[in-house]
Amino acid sequence: MTTLGFIAKNALRNKRRAILSVGSVAASLFLFIILQVGVRELTLPVEDVGSASRVIARNRISLGQLLPAKQKPTIERIPGVEVVSPFTWFGGKFRGEEVMFAQFAVDPDAFLKISVDAHIPAEQAQAFTADRRACIVGKDTAAKYKLKVGDRMMIEGTYWPFDLELHVAGIYSGTPDDRNIFFNHKYLDEASGGGGQVGTWWIKVRSPEEVGPVTSAIDKAFMNTSAEVRAETERAFQLGFISMWGNIKTLISAISSVVVFTLILVSASTMSMAIRERFRELAVLKALGFRRRELFGFILAESFGLSALGAMLGVGGCWALLTFVPATTLTGNFFPTLEVTPRMLGLGSLVAAALGIISSLAPAISVARMSVVEGLKTLD
Amino acid sequence: MALPIKYNVRNVFIRWRSTIATIVGVALVVAVYVLVQALAVGLESSSANTGAPGNLLVMRKGSTAESSSQVKLDQLRTIQYLDGVAKDTEGKPLVSGDVLILINLPRRENKGEANILIRGIGANGIKLRPQVALMGGRWFRPGLREVAISKRLSARFANTGIGEKFKTGGHEMTVVGQFDAGSSAFDSEIWMDGDEARSIFDRENYSSVLLTTTSDLAATNLINRIEKDKTLSLKIVPEIGFYKTQTKTAGPIKFMGAFLATAMSIGAIFAAMNTMYASVGARTREVGTLRVLGFRRRTILVSFLLEGAFLALVGGVLGCLLAMPMNGLATGTLSFDNFSEVVFEFRITPRLWMNGLLFSVIVGLIGSLLPAIRAARLPVIASLKSI
Repeated sequence: MTTLGFIAKNALRNKRRAILSVGSVAASLFLFIILQVGVRELTLPVEDVGSASRVIARNRISLGQLLPAKQKPTIERIPGVEVVSPFTWFGGKFRGEEVMFAQFAVDPDAFLKISVDAHIPAEQAQAFTADRRACIVGKDTAAKYKLKVGDRMMIEGTYWPFDLELHVAGIYSGTPDDRNIFFNHKYLDEASGGGGQVGTWWIKVRSPEEVGPVTSAIDKAFMNTSAEVRAETERAFQLGFISMWGNIKTLISAISSVVVFTLILVSASTMSMAIRERFRELAVLKALGFRRRELFGFILAESFGLSALGAMLGVGGCWALLTFVPATTLTGNFFPTLEVTPRMLGLGSLVAAALGIISSLAPAISVARMSVVEGLKTLD
Repeated sequence: MALPIKYNVRNVFIRWRSTIATIVGVALVVAVYVLVQALAVGLESSSANTGAPGNLLVMRKGSTAESSSQVKLDQLRTIQYLDGVAKDTEGKPLVSGDVLILINLPRRENKGEANILIRGIGANGIKLRPQVALMGGRWFRPGLREVAISKRLSARFANTGIGEKFKTGGHEMTVVGQFDAGSSAFDSEIWMDGDEARSIFDRENYSSVLLTTTSDLAATNLINRIEKDKTLSLKIVPEIGFYKTQTKTAGPIKFMGAFLATAMSIGAIFAAMNTMYASVGARTREVGTLRVLGFRRRTILVSFLLEGAFLALVGGVLGCLLAMPMNGLATGTLSFDNFSEVVFEFRITPRLWMNGLLFSVIVGLIGSLLPAIRAARLPVIASLKSI
């Protein structure tokens, strides 16, 4: 019998226990990775190709405060600014319920130039700019509600005091979050009785290098006016949103550490249970002339192997689940990406490795300490 | 005949090493469960805690949150002189036209920024909210850029101590007082004079109108009167009832708590199973003896199930105790109802305790089911022979 065979036989001798240990490691690592995925989803907004040269300008007071539409020409005159579009959140209900997609009013021509990542057939883009009541729908939302070009969408206003009746002119894809709906700002102006106000400005800057100067120029342009502005990169804007979540990140990290701790505790106890049961045998091995070092090797290899198997099932299972099962759709598109990154795979494996080592330590020490006679006398 | 419970209790502590690991494992699962649910309970109770009986809240028809509602000036004028609206000692209607504005303020210690609600209130706005009490400083004066802030909020945001000034847009506001709103939703707000707020933040309309009625009958009549009036296009609801529905934020937290608990409990069930199997294995001969003494298979099964349940229950109690120090601790997050910071407390209620303990017992029962069946099925002669 080879050493490896010996270790494998030992590990699987009590099959029930082996399965339970592997299972508990797998369950905990699965949870650990899921939490990591969740934290990433909540704290790292997805970056896309164009976001480095895009700027969002909002009212300095807060997002809840609108901006005067007359600011547009002032922004357009700032050197480095290529295109400016109003970008106003509508926040309506669809089919009588709250929805996971946002509706934004934009200037269609400017929108198509700013949102370089959105793929949309030319004739659909044409239709979007031509019809005042037209909208374009992200492919995820279109799939979820079975919407196609030519359909009508009734959006019930909750934030704005009126409803919208939109015509689906096109379906876009290719942005990091293909859920939102964009419609013509002129329709919003008309419906709100005159307009004159926008939620935020969405601005494309000529090159990423000019973003810094442009944002400070915009801020300065409206300083000491009745509507002061704060311009920032799209990414900074999204990160600002996330900082409002407050302690959620701390909470999830705390839970992750509790999970890891529980995992180590439980597996370590199982592992040492398995070794204690074999004290007598280990004493025999000692009597046969195996050194402490070798015995320690056996134990380490066994626990390492079990936790590696658990990691494969837990981490791999999580990866497979999020890769092959449409988890984003199943969670009602609440999370747009849900992906296990290589970093998480590494972290999961690292935890498993540490687990394997730690849980073999306590039994290894007691085996090293025991005298042969004592070990042979053990009953349990 | 049933086996005495003492037998199981003692058995639990014999193999203390694996027992302790299992107990601590269950304890941590229960602690996480209780804590996350305590967040949801705290959030819900802060909204359920808000409002005074007899108060009615008027908003635009169709709006789901107070901050996105609009009530026009002439609508307020109409409402305040309707029958059933209570009057103060000077004969003025007990009505407050409120305006709600989101402002972005930096947190203390440079921990990013967050939105807070400023509520501009009418002259009778404070009287209408008896649960709000001034803790320090004084109330703001009308027509000035003075604010009073909730004490809990002040602890979280920079430059919001009494006497300090903060800037929003181009406007400098002076904090003149701090209030305590008795763990209600008002604990997440800054208050100031309503008309001043409307002029600073350029709002033509009010967001909502709060009023109090002379009697329950008057309230019912007033609700009928306003709801039926097509020209007003307003909705009117009891204040307490409205705040009870503002619980969008608690939903996802509850879901997270349930998900975490379920996922973690799988690990805990495995641990309990391991411990119980080991316990059954070590007591094979004992079980044989019990059978010879005339105890039935059923009794043995129940006995081991009880043992598993007790083991986990000890963990459950420990878990609840572990979670207890967080009870009452204030925390905050983004409210999905009005996109502003909501301050609330962890609330570990007796009901949550019960849930936590019940949860641990279920973990124990599931974990010990298979080992107990194995123990009950042991053949008598063979088990007596085993060492």
